[in-house]
Amino acid sequence: MSRIADGVTRPAPITVEIDGAMVPAHPGETLAAVMIAAGAYRMRDDRSGAPRGLLCNMGTCSECFVWIAMDGAWRRRRACLTLVSEGLCIATQEGQP
Amino acid sequence: MIDIAIIGGGPAGQAAARQTLGAGLSTTMIDEQARPGGQILRQPPAAFAVKGWMAGRLYRPLRRLLAQTEADIRLDWRGGTSVAGIERIEDHFRLTLSGAHGGTLLARRVLIAAGCYDMPVAMPGWTLPGVMSAGAVQTLLKSQQVVAGQPIVLLGSHPLLLVLATQLLDAGAEVAAVLMPQTYGRMARAVLPYLAGAIFTPGPLIAAGAAMARLRRAGVPMMMGARPIGFTGDGRLEAVDYAWRGQVQRIAAQAAAVSYGFLPQSDLPRQIGAAVRWARPAGGWETVCDGAMRSSIPGLYVAGETTGVAGADAAMAEGEIAGIAMALDAGVRPPSGMARAQARRARLQPFIDLLRAAADPGEVWPQATPETLLCRCEDISVAQVEATMAQLSPMADASAVKHRCRIGMGLCQGRSCEHALVRRIAAARGCDPDAVTPFRMRFPARPIPIDEIIG
Repeated sequence: MSRIADGVTRPAPITVEIDGAMVPAHPGETLAAVMIAAGAYRMRDDRSGAPRGLLCNMGTCSECFVWIAMDGAWRRRRACLTLVSEGLCIATQEGQP
Repeated sequence: MIDIAIIGGGPAGQAAARQTLGAGLSTTMIDEQARPGGQILRQPPAAFAVKGWMAGRLYRPLRRLLAQTEADIRLDWRGGTSVAGIERIEDHFRLTLSGAHGGTLLARRVLIAAGCYDMPVAMPGWTLPGVMSAGAVQTLLKSQQVVAGQPIVLLGSHPLLLVLATQLLDAGAEVAAVLMPQTYGRMARAVLPYLAGAIFTPGPLIAAGAAMARLRRAGVPMMMGARPIGFTGDGRLEAVDYAWRGQVQRIAAQAAAVSYGFLPQSDLPRQIGAAVRWARPAGGWETVCDGAMRSSIPGLYVAGETTGVAGADAAMAEGEIAGIAMALDAGVRPPSGMARAQARRARLQPFIDLLRAAADPGEVWPQATPETLLCRCEDISVAQVEATMAQLSPMADASAVKHRCRIGMGLCQGRSCEHALVRRIAAARGCDPDAVTPFRMRFPARPIPIDEIIG
């Protein structure tokens, strides 16, 4: 796994949903870190349908925009700045799943 | 109305806050990250415990400053918050914030210490998931304690790659290779004029030597003179292509970390109309300031990479200078130490010049193809940009090209592509990039939900 285990203590895992799959995450982690740790490098598609992923990991480039279900609507957020929470539902395409 | 708003919680902002708080000025610090530290000390989540985090000797002064900042209850810390807008209204400033502490903030003085970001360099396949900036790979490691992928290839002209390679090895990652396009001879010639001066700040030079020895022991190929060509893969990165001794080579990789230098964050200074100039050698726009870090806008100060990429030690010194200047200009009893901080900043310059010369991507810039996307937000290719430029007068500035083909009109506000467009216009005109008028930086500086603005 790509999470460093040696010398790192994390809070007990929670679960988030990414494109319909249940993925483990730890409170405090960013969505980008959780997706990369799960091998989910694709975070959105461009106009031609080509996949895109994390580029700067500091909120500057906006490449890592994903869709998040919030208050009954899909909102776009930068995955690198968004922290996970229990049951968070993430989609890499609008309104999916 | 507060006395001081500091944009950026890195070394520059923290050093400034110590001065302004010490002078009794109410101080608010805003940062997009949840915790202070900046990118250099991007902290793990508060709920994590990480043994020996950033324990290296070179980080010690930064860690001490961070501990002092976090312990200072006078500081109004607003993490998880983006600054989308900055305006000057009569004798004060209005900041428009988004995120955890959204809303507006009125301040008598503002320090922009917003740092820098990895220069995005367009090359074939660079939009494939798995191709990241070196900074992204490093902050995933430092903060999230996640390895971005393995095997991982590190490539580019910046010696930061050596530091990153050792950090990845420490994390147990499989580093496939470090590919640097400049030869040993070229780098030696570039740094030679600065060596004598840099000997007074030997720490980073010793660290670079130790890093190279560490890579050798670990069996990681460190290839100087290996020119990165591009990235290939089906839906995600699978391999990196590079030229080595006249042959095209391919090396398998799940992730790649790219570093050709850093660009100052310049959107907020430019939005409010502060004077900027082209940064050398890596490019982008650095904000002009006087010896006390005052920008061309009265009441607006700049420090750290915003004034030109120079590293964390210079940022600490500049932040201290800016903090002292703000206290002086506010008319409160001035803290002493201005001359000492300025001397400390001056002593760092030879090493900064050395690093800039060593990292200079000038002659070893990777080649984009006509299909390569230059603007990653609006999906505008090199061919589209060249065709647009051909239709316009050679004197057309960056905004004219933007209006015609949408380059730079996307969510990143041109932070990824503008530097490349400015270089292309300058090359076509045969002029210096500083003579090209860049995009106008508009509100909002960060992508923010529309309902946050209309409330």
